[in-house]
Amino acid sequence: MSLSPQRRFVTPEPDESIEQLAERALPGEPVAAAVDRIKSWNLHIFAMRRPPGLLLGGDVVFVEPPRR
Amino acid sequence: MMFDVLIRNGLVVDGSGEAGFAADVAVKDGRIAQIGRIDGPARQVIDAAGRVVAPGFIDPHTHFDVQLLWDGAARPALSHGVTSIVPGNCSLSLAPLRAADRPAVVGMFQQIEEMPPEAFTTAFDWTWEDFAGYRAAIERNLAINVAPLVGHSVIRQWVMGEAAQARAATPGEIAAMQDLLRECLQAGAVGLSTSFVDVDARGRPVPSRFAQFAELDALAAVLGEFGRMLQIVPEFYDTDLTIARIDQLAELSLRHGVPTTFSPVFDSASTPDNVPRTLARVEEQFARGARVWPQMQTRPIDISFSLLRPSLFFARLPSWIRVLRKPLDERIAALSDAETADRLVADVGPDGGARMMGELIVRGGDAAPTALAGRTLGEIAAERGESPARALITLSLEHGLDVAFLAANRGHDDTGRIGAMLAHPLVHIGASDGGAHLASFATYGDTGYLFSEFVRKAGALSLEQAVRKITADTADIWGFKDRGRLAPGLAADIVVFDPETIARGEERAVFDMPGDGMRYVRDAIGVDTVLVNGAVAYAGGAYTDARAGAVLA
Amino acid sequence: MNAQVQAEAVIVGAEIGAGHDGAAELVLTLRYENGATAPVVLDAETGFSLMRNCGAESLADLAGQSWRNLLEGLE
Repeated sequence: MSLSPQRRFVTPEPDESIEQLAERALPGEPVAAAVDRIKSWNLHIFAMRRPPGLLLGGDVVFVEPPRR
Repeated sequence: MMFDVLIRNGLVVDGSGEAGFAADVAVKDGRIAQIGRIDGPARQVIDAAGRVVAPGFIDPHTHFDVQLLWDGAARPALSHGVTSIVPGNCSLSLAPLRAADRPAVVGMFQQIEEMPPEAFTTAFDWTWEDFAGYRAAIERNLAINVAPLVGHSVIRQWVMGEAAQARAATPGEIAAMQDLLRECLQAGAVGLSTSFVDVDARGRPVPSRFAQFAELDALAAVLGEFGRMLQIVPEFYDTDLTIARIDQLAELSLRHGVPTTFSPVFDSASTPDNVPRTLARVEEQFARGARVWPQMQTRPIDISFSLLRPSLFFARLPSWIRVLRKPLDERIAALSDAETADRLVADVGPDGGARMMGELIVRGGDAAPTALAGRTLGEIAAERGESPARALITLSLEHGLDVAFLAANRGHDDTGRIGAMLAHPLVHIGASDGGAHLASFATYGDTGYLFSEFVRKAGALSLEQAVRKITADTADIWGFKDRGRLAPGLAADIVVFDPETIARGEERAVFDMPGDGMRYVRDAIGVDTVLVNGAVAYAGGAYTDARAGAVLA
Repeated sequence: MNAQVQAEAVIVGAEIGAGHDGAAELVLTLRYENGATAPVVLDAETGFSLMRNCGAESLADLAGQSWRNLLEGLE
């Protein structure tokens, strides 16, 4: 059985900033806009975490909005 | 042959899922000696007429790590027919742990268990640092079987110290963690637990959450050497995140040949496609050969609150929110103001809060009078000649706002939906959290609730299916080779229960934790006798002195 | 999938749910820029912060608010 497509994600590299991650995940987009989009798709990191936006090595960071 | 115990005239439901059959069960030297019509003499004969004789239940997700140090029966779990428990979940165990790191890890435990500090300072002698030492410390007094996981967070803490909550591990540190995990598995750990959700006493993510996937992969490789379990807590509040974790677990399972499990998995009216999507992904991954077992609890989720803190329970009532957001002294003053109170009562509607608040249950364990505990606010309000909303305010004010109210069955509560999910062949019934959340809700009696709600009331599972789900299936998933079934030669973990009455009792507050610490419990209903490794550990509503429990290495 | 196109995510619904820890939580529904909707679950602290940021008196007032209100005041 093949796997159905699911929402794409990346995991942070060691010491990677959100800006670096956004550049890696959304190449070609202006960084500020890419960061903004990443934030909106990952409220578990940027709204619900204390401190907000702390990137953890184990994080799943979505690089697209929900698909459904 | 003289048997040690002979259980006669029961309906044997042996864990296989096959139809129960009338038979006697004989026990000798801690093992099941014979099943059938048995006339042989026995030192102890138990009449099980009208009762089910089943393998002891296995609870695969608990936090009894601390309690086991002074209570080898993990009360009240054993009285519910649970003969084996898995502590050490959610990345946290009490070993390996250096003495200097104890305060930090105790804080993490307290976040999950809500156990009073005295439990860690007065109830036992903390003599160990390594996993073998912890095992020895609990083994002295076990009435229940224990299959302990080792926590990723404490392994990380041991190797990295404070850096465990700051950065990625170096290759050398990962290698040291692998060695340490290997040592723990050799000393009796049945797997590794990790968490992507939990926080410590200061609200910081626990160490396991700082690990790169490569670290988890390296640790899973060690699990593969032993064929042992990886347990995780995913971001269960979000389906896409849960599916991402399922995919990671599947990758590890396939790469290293290990079973994996994640918990909890909840169903709710506000996220109705969560479980269907989760199970669909699990099915896809199993079809590829991965073992990724979703753990689901049987009990519904309740909402609990007091007026000591703002609760979203009131989020539809603007005037209440305005008052509850105030600092405590101003809040009490506002609630005491007649005009404000009148407005609050008026804002709940013409029924005075009967629909929204009438069914709230006053909980024990706080400043409320014991006589009110367990009663509905509607009943109390009627006696006082008040509306439920008014009674909620006045009752709270009379006790410094320290009165807890419970809104029962507000999530994971659709029996029709949950029953079908629990019956799904890939759903692993568990996630009780036994021994955790002590001051928030009772984590005991989920097995009784399985039978009362989903076998007797809803008919979603047969008696035999339900028994299999929490015995043989669990043993197979975890690799407990001589547990979970009634068959000659296997360990004599046995529960005798009344299939017509087995259930969980009402939630009640007790003060039996060290330092008179409070917790909520539920008593067992319909469980007659529990044997652990052939010894009667619970009978007639009382625990015995038997200490036949073992570490299931 | 809803065909409505918008520049960024907005809240289109909010209700109260029961959290794993026994606390009431806020279950938002967000509609994203591609038209997809998905739930976002908030604890009491974040939920009250959002209501404050939006000037919301009750859950109904959250509809139509930008996702950005979730971030304000949290730093």
